[in-house]
Amino acid sequence: MWKTYWKFIRALAVNRLGKIGVLLAALSFVIFLLLEAARIAGILRSARIGLMTYMALPALFIIGLLLIPLGWDLLRRRTGGTVLQLLNRKFDSSELEGGFFGSKLVLKAGFLTLVGLLFVIFAGARMLSFMDQPRFCGTACHSVMNPEWVTFQQSPHASIRCVDCHVGEGVDALVKSKLNGLWEILSVTLDLLERPIPTPIHQLRPARETCEKCHWPDKFYGTRLKTYTRYRTDEASTPSYTTLMLKIDTGKKGEKAGIHWHIGPTNQIRYSSVDDEREKIIRVEVLERSAVRKRFYNSELAGADGGLDNDMRVMDCVDCHNRATHIYEDPEQALDERISAERVGRNLPFIKREALRVLTNDYPDKEAAMAAVERQIKSFYRRYYPELAASEAANIETSIRTLQSIYGRNIHPEMNIEWGSYSNHINHDKNGGCFRCHNENMVSDDGEHISYECTSCHSFLAYGESDPLKYLMPVRTRDRESEMHRYLREEFLDGYAKYRARPRIRIHPNCLLFLRQRPCSIRRLT
Amino acid sequence: MKRFLVLLAVVFLSASQAASQQEGQCMVCHKLVSPGLYNQWHESQHAVHGVSCVDCHGAQQGEEDAFEHHGAFIATLVTPRDCGRCHTKEAREVQNSYHASAGEILHSQDAYLAHIAGGQPAAVAGCENCHGARIVIDPHSPNRLSKKSWPNSGIGRINPDGSKGSCSACHTRHNFTKSQARQPESCSKCHLGPDHPQKEIYEESKHGNTYYTNVKKMNLDADPWVVGKDYYAAPTCATCHMSATSVLKSSHDVGDRISWTLRPAVSVHKDNWLAKRENMFTVCQSCHGSSFAKGHYYQYDALVRLYNGKFAEPAAEIMKLIRAQKLLENPAEFGNKIEWTYYELWHHEGRRARHGAAMMGPDYTWWHGIYEVAQHFYFKFLPEARAFNDPKVNAAIEKLLKEDPMHQWLSRDTETLKKAIRSGDLQKQYDKLFQQD
Repeated sequence: MWKTYWKFIRALAVNRLGKIGVLLAALSFVIFLLLEAARIAGILRSARIGLMTYMALPALFIIGLLLIPLGWDLLRRRTGGTVLQLLNRKFDSSELEGGFFGSKLVLKAGFLTLVGLLFVIFAGARMLSFMDQPRFCGTACHSVMNPEWVTFQQSPHASIRCVDCHVGEGVDALVKSKLNGLWEILSVTLDLLERPIPTPIHQLRPARETCEKCHWPDKFYGTRLKTYTRYRTDEASTPSYTTLMLKIDTGKKGEKAGIHWHIGPTNQIRYSSVDDEREKIIRVEVLERSAVRKRFYNSELAGADGGLDNDMRVMDCVDCHNRATHIYEDPEQALDERISAERVGRNLPFIKREALRVLTNDYPDKEAAMAAVERQIKSFYRRYYPELAASEAANIETSIRTLQSIYGRNIHPEMNIEWGSYSNHINHDKNGGCFRCHNENMVSDDGEHISYECTSCHSFLAYGESDPLKYLMPVRTRDRESEMHRYLREEFLDGYAKYRARPRIRIHPNCLLFLRQRPCSIRRLT
Repeated sequence: MKRFLVLLAVVFLSASQAASQQEGQCMVCHKLVSPGLYNQWHESQHAVHGVSCVDCHGAQQGEEDAFEHHGAFIATLVTPRDCGRCHTKEAREVQNSYHASAGEILHSQDAYLAHIAGGQPAAVAGCENCHGARIVIDPHSPNRLSKKSWPNSGIGRINPDGSKGSCSACHTRHNFTKSQARQPESCSKCHLGPDHPQKEIYEESKHGNTYYTNVKKMNLDADPWVVGKDYYAAPTCATCHMSATSVLKSSHDVGDRISWTLRPAVSVHKDNWLAKRENMFTVCQSCHGSSFAKGHYYQYDALVRLYNGKFAEPAAEIMKLIRAQKLLENPAEFGNKIEWTYYELWHHEGRRARHGAAMMGPDYTWWHGIYEVAQHFYFKFLPEARAFNDPKVNAAIEKLLKEDPMHQWLSRDTETLKKAIRSGDLQKQYDKLFQQD
């Protein structure tokens, strides 16, 4: 049995071309089986080997198969005989007996074709599913995708797949993404990429098709209490707190109000921006039930291109949540979060100042940076706090590891990604985010502004205070900021009274306690 | 009646509540969007005493520079009248001071020169930034200040509400401390340069020397800040010209203690100069004995008279003659070289000499002062005057050089002159300049 197949295969390889074809097809088939077995056994995990297994080997297999008939064709031309003559020459006559469909030869060929076809289908399916794995996207084009891969893995969306947001469903999306992938392979190979990769990515799938799959737009979010801790650069790295009650969703009867008003069922916001970069906004339109209700122009950008209707972009999730996943941090914020999480030791004197300094220095490359972070922090404590350097050695070590991980996550010299290379629009840091539209320059024809009142999006319970719930306390008139305290306290309480009817309001239990027995003393959250 | 009082109280309370709500509202945003400004205010005495945004920037609807800002009426400009609602005495003194009229330079030669020889941008970014601009409202943007006149913190700013000056010229926004105005750096924003180098003279003087060596001992934040009591290391500009002594009260009228005006081509005593000199005398005596102070004035007065009599008055006479004889080629003032020469003679080196003597800056009195006055008078101004070849002008020059003993040295030989210096004869002719008033 094996012998006849072996003979058959040898007979197929009629000349050098045929031999190469047979060799290619056979080898790639065998190697594929071995690699796939290794992968299933968990021995191999690398995306590059995967790339070879699922893309290179099936391709080589197909090329090999194609070479075999090409060899035959060449032979036929050289010898000038008919197909039958050639077959007779190469195969036993017993193989050719029994008519065309009844012959052993055709049966064998049919069987092998079936095996080949099954192999190609199987490999193709494995390829597609392999390419749907984040590991493939993240590591196949290592240097280019690495920053996104690193930030993705530390994001709230780390457990869903890249393709769930970036490719979408259906054959169309698949084909489109593969074609796009071809272009990307080309641009990586030929180094045609801009570094850092410019954002926004304009061909991203519409947020309505991606985000809303899980984040159902009718969901009522209510208000959300959030405390931001900021550490000063003094010796004790003294914390100060800003507590905001974010008015995310405050509408009633299914209407959207609050920050998510922007995506209300009857509202639509359209805008145009300079170079379509969504950073400098030229014009904003508010539509209600598809009719333009208000139109605002940026008075500082009068005359800029982008006033035409076909330049307008309809605002969706990613206009604010532009970095819901690939989150690059602000150095100070990153540090504050790690100190809060006790991954950087606040008991180390001047740790905030020193850590910020070493994180924001310029270094030639990542290795140098990692070494410098360690060296500088250690030498600071050795020099100025020698006793502490010894007694807190473990703490210093942990803090250094954390600082290195902050650096490693955010700074990617190979892609020219530094602090602040990518803006995050979820807040209004550095006058971006909300302030792109909500600023004094956005004026309608009748002189109306887009509101930029602080309290329209959030109430304050503390604003850089030592007590995270300070404004719930009664106002102390001798306090320099007493006027602000009074205003913010009343604003919060008024707002709360308004939202109180909603059952799903998210508010800290201390506030409820306070509202029940006001004025009262509140256990300080420190 | 009782009901009325309650009503009144309610109205009052709600009004103050509304104002405080506005202030709270301002602070929330500005703490974020203008943190520098906010933090300066936060450390200020204003913050300590509950004076915040609307107290100074609040305006009434209908005021020329009042615009609506998040539901409140706001004016960018805070004028001495606004400050004067609390700082009554200071505002009144400022309005009467020479500082307050510094913005009216448009009628002066200096502003004329800046506009013709320079151009408006030079006048706006130069002159008006010290002297103060006439604040105008932007015709294209109702109730906002025109960018040609704002920002401007010139000390003689002419404000839309009719008041003059800008407190922030010395009490810089937004912490408005007294201490900064007490330091010489505050004055030296304007009082420096070729035409009135008070800063440089102060730095050269013994007063400045001791100040910069002892700045830590100056107790600059003290309230009150009485020279000799609260501090004694050195005087600053403010010490002599404005601040309190154990005898004098502090005053925002900077001219209160100045007896000569050193500004014009020929110096004259100011109105009521004896009283003003007496004021300065008491300041000197906070640290010096009376003979020391008198000696200073003896020397200083002589220098001013020397400058007046030897150079300023004759040069003014000659210029007058040149104009009367219609010798100037171009009709516009400053269109002719000799006018620039004459202007610099009194406006630059002439002032430097006088200011140097007034504030004990020897280098400015002589090398940057009288030395240059003499050089330019003899070898620039007189030759340029002679170049007109006008018999009357030439005769006047000849007469001056021949008959005035102070100029006769030009026709004598070195040896004789040196001899006369050694014997003291040459100095004698200046005796009349040294007199005790």
